[in-house]
Amino acid sequence: MAELTPIERVKRFFNREPIDKMPFFTGMGMVLLPAIKKLGYNFPSVHRNAEKMARSAIESARMFNLDSVVIPYDMCMESEALGNEISLYEDSEDILYPTIPYKSWQEVDQVEITQDDIDNVMDKYPMNLLPEAIKIVKTEAPDLPVGAWQLGPFTQCGQTIELDKVLKAVFKQTDLVESILDKFSDMIINIGKALQAAGADFITLREPGVAADLLSPKTFKELIQPRLTRILAAWEPPKVLHICGSTDPLVEMMWQCVVDSGGQGVSFDIKNNLLETRKKLGNAAIILGNFDVFQLPCAEATTVEQAVEGIKTNIDGLVDAVWPGCDLWPDIKEENLKAIEKTAREYKTGPTPAVGRL
Amino acid sequence: MATKEELLELLKDGVINYKEEQVKEAAQTAVDDGHPALEMIMDGLAAGMEVVGDLYERHEYFVPEVLMCADALYLGLDILRPHVPKSDSGAVAQVVIGSIQGDVHDIGKNLVKMMFDVAGWEVHDLGRDVPLENFVKEQLRTDAEVVAMSAMMTTTMLGMKKVIQMIKEKNPNVAIMLGGAPVTQDVANLFGADGYAESAGNAVQEGIKMIGRLREYEKKKAD
Repeated sequence: MAELTPIERVKRFFNREPIDKMPFFTGMGMVLLPAIKKLGYNFPSVHRNAEKMARSAIESARMFNLDSVVIPYDMCMESEALGNEISLYEDSEDILYPTIPYKSWQEVDQVEITQDDIDNVMDKYPMNLLPEAIKIVKTEAPDLPVGAWQLGPFTQCGQTIELDKVLKAVFKQTDLVESILDKFSDMIINIGKALQAAGADFITLREPGVAADLLSPKTFKELIQPRLTRILAAWEPPKVLHICGSTDPLVEMMWQCVVDSGGQGVSFDIKNNLLETRKKLGNAAIILGNFDVFQLPCAEATTVEQAVEGIKTNIDGLVDAVWPGCDLWPDIKEENLKAIEKTAREYKTGPTPAVGRL
Repeated sequence: MATKEELLELLKDGVINYKEEQVKEAAQTAVDDGHPALEMIMDGLAAGMEVVGDLYERHEYFVPEVLMCADALYLGLDILRPHVPKSDSGAVAQVVIGSIQGDVHDIGKNLVKMMFDVAGWEVHDLGRDVPLENFVKEQLRTDAEVVAMSAMMTTTMLGMKKVIQMIKEKNPNVAIMLGGAPVTQDVANLFGADGYAESAGNAVQEGIKMIGRLREYEKKKAD
């Protein structure tokens, strides 16, 4: 049979229908420097311009034969829409993602998220750029699925108030933190719905601020899990839950969020013990990630052979797709990423635990 | 009037159970009653922080609890530190510390800073999102023995390599410590650093272990 297009492959993958070969794609940040350079853009300019964002996202996928395009790139857009100023580092020669140098809410009890913020967040700059960028991708690259993502409510909270204040307030001002998390959850639901309405083909909820090296599994269960479930349940499938950092103690709760919300997959970074996770979750779970986004595709010292071995190890860890464990770092070594893609497709051609082969 | 041992216990317990008022009151009483400030810091506050480190390692405490313990420790330190005679603290050494440009995360950096503060180092905290050249300028200005840099994100980690090169070119004897989630021992070696702590969590363990070693050193010195 004819080779599936990337959008067919990814849609079938999330439906657990047999596919032609191992998908190589991501639902987290992916804008690559060779693509930006080819288009004549500079790194700071792609973050707040819908057309440049869309074109650099398409080119990043095309250049390295990835099965998805990802919008957006940075984690500051929502915070900016709520009134914080950001640094784009336009004068820097280094690759620096936007940051929020100063947060207007310095204490948890200063947080004021209005119903207008929640209901009309997509009308505010720069959030209004995202549907525009997605629509450009859908028109110009209809064969590529668009992956959108949103930060979870706790991590988003840390983007608008200092994270150390939030962490302490979990104990000292629990009711207030719960109320803030609920407002952020409502806002995140609305953003996700808008991105899906604009054409996003799948969506990833990323909540790195709650890993077990920061918060206790008990706090995760009581404070975070119900909210992640509520957000995911409000979105259309396919949907993935991702957490960076220490996740071994959280995998069952993460998967429960996915099951309870009608989601499809769960994703981790390199700190997860994938084989143990597979044992815990079984073969019905779509498991993604655990691919070292710096060491394999970017590190100066990593040879092509080492990158190939690294990705074989990732596949041997029983992932269902080759999917980076975090944002792909833009300054990749082209030869390494090309070899990673080739290995991903050719190394094992049989079914993975959760997804069969045609 | 509380005895020295009672005050030490109050300080220790106050840090472990993040009882800020208890720590402030005990520290002030210790100063008012003329107890040796360095001993109060080391066998009260720092001893409490060592227990916090054990609790963290046993997964009884997580980062929020450690941050609250650190707040309590600093309240005591602010009261006691000015009363440590210069000859006792020995003005150990200087460290330049900060989170690298592009990175606004500073929890791990602040926990490592706490370790240097307890140890009586002169800390030059550049804050976060620090332009690379500022680390070099500050090291040259202060002639600090250690430069400690933190990056929470892969996207900012590479800036560290540039700073190390710039500093080592001008002053090869400076010890460089790296920290942050994406930093591994391999990365630290690759970049030419002298030490590393991989995350805020790891910084808690490493920082507290160093406090423990410092307490042993102070005891030996006293003997």
